[in-house]
Amino acid sequence: MTVLAVTMKDLRLHARDARFVATLLLFSASLVLILSVAFGPIFRDPAREASATLWAALFFAGVLGLTRSLDLEGESGGGDALRLTGADPYSLYLGKTLANFLLLAGVFVFVLPIASIFFDVGDLRVLPGVLGVAALGLIGYAAWGTLFAALARGLKARELLLSVLLFPSLVPLWIGAVKLTHALWADGTVDLVRDWIKVMAVADVLGLALAAFLYELIQEATE
Amino acid sequence: MNPTIPAWWRGAGRALWALAAILLAASLGAITRYAPTEVQMGIVQKIVYVHVPSATMTLLAFGLTFAGSIAYLATKQWAWDALAAASCELGMVFATVVMVTGPLWARSAWNTWWTWEPRLTTFLILWILYAGYHVVRSSIRSSSKRTVSSILGIVLFVNLPVVWMSIQWWRGSLHPRNVTMTGEMRTTLLLSMAAWMVFFAAALLTRLRLEWIREEALERDLAGARAPETGRAGA
Repeated sequence: MTVLAVTMKDLRLHARDARFVATLLLFSASLVLILSVAFGPIFRDPAREASATLWAALFFAGVLGLTRSLDLEGESGGGDALRLTGADPYSLYLGKTLANFLLLAGVFVFVLPIASIFFDVGDLRVLPGVLGVAALGLIGYAAWGTLFAALARGLKARELLLSVLLFPSLVPLWIGAVKLTHALWADGTVDLVRDWIKVMAVADVLGLALAAFLYELIQEATE
Repeated sequence: MNPTIPAWWRGAGRALWALAAILLAASLGAITRYAPTEVQMGIVQKIVYVHVPSATMTLLAFGLTFAGSIAYLATKQWAWDALAAASCELGMVFATVVMVTGPLWARSAWNTWWTWEPRLTTFLILWILYAGYHVVRSSIRSSSKRTVSSILGIVLFVNLPVVWMSIQWWRGSLHPRNVTMTGEMRTTLLLSMAAWMVFFAAALLTRLRLEWIREEALERDLAGARAPETGRAGA
């Protein structure tokens, strides 16, 4: 119940800030456009270039989303109010993670057709597979991202620090997402790179498990 | 109030520095005079006697950062955080040595300074992450510095097994899996390993002493700041 309440609160804050959501979507679309122009007009390996572009756009848009949700809490004092409710810290974390996941999933749904059109890749038969890869990748991103974002709260130049710490931590997840998306778009199957599903699943579970132990401490430290 | 630094601490530090100097000189002598030159790679192979011990010390240092971070969160004693931070600094020094000696060796062995193979890539990521640890630590001025650093020390440790296992997990790794040596080469490697280990212990003791002095100075400042208030209250 607490999880859903926190998720709804965060999503409502994003919905009220339509200008930010529009900027986030435009930013990610611009990234896809710039990279498709850089790789094109004749693509050597469109599936590879498109999958790398898609996930690069998601990463940068995600950093913007994570820092924005922190700023919103900081400005309104929502973070302190949440702590005063006495709710279980891990439930708060899961609520925020779910909200961040849904925000990123929204960006993904917006960017996927753009990347498919610009790079001329993908077909509807592999769409469920691509969505599965996206779910694995974005759950991990939201789990680790929410953890690091909470840690970076109150620090100077937190956007920079978030990129410096978050991006290298997510590399196994990122390589897996790019490789699996590429395999689906190029060969229609993930048979040759199936191991990456395990790597991504382990990264997801590890992020969520670490937060279970550390989120309360992070909250206390960054109060 | 923190106790003052015991005299034996400085004595132990000096003894370790002396031993480190002797062992490092002996190791240098063994590398240049005792260990034979490898037939295929020639003199470049001798980089291994620096590269392997510094890589081992990197893992040990970051492992100590992890242990110190857990101990700090469990006990809230500043000494554990000092151990974590000091060990992490030294780990960065060793990791930088690895990052410099690796490409020198790779240029001769693989005909390239750098290749995006799993061990190299994961180690570079590790280097960036622990550099980030220091950036974060230095950018926090509040009382939460130690807790935030400790949490980071635990979270970043997750990458160590990834570096270690990368050559097993990912196909196409060029990096040697094991260093198997015999005779003079093995003796030289073991001597180098011992020399770097003692150097690490000596540097860690000195770095911890600095933290101790800093903590004492902080305590004195705080006591000095409290004293006039107490005096006024008493008057």
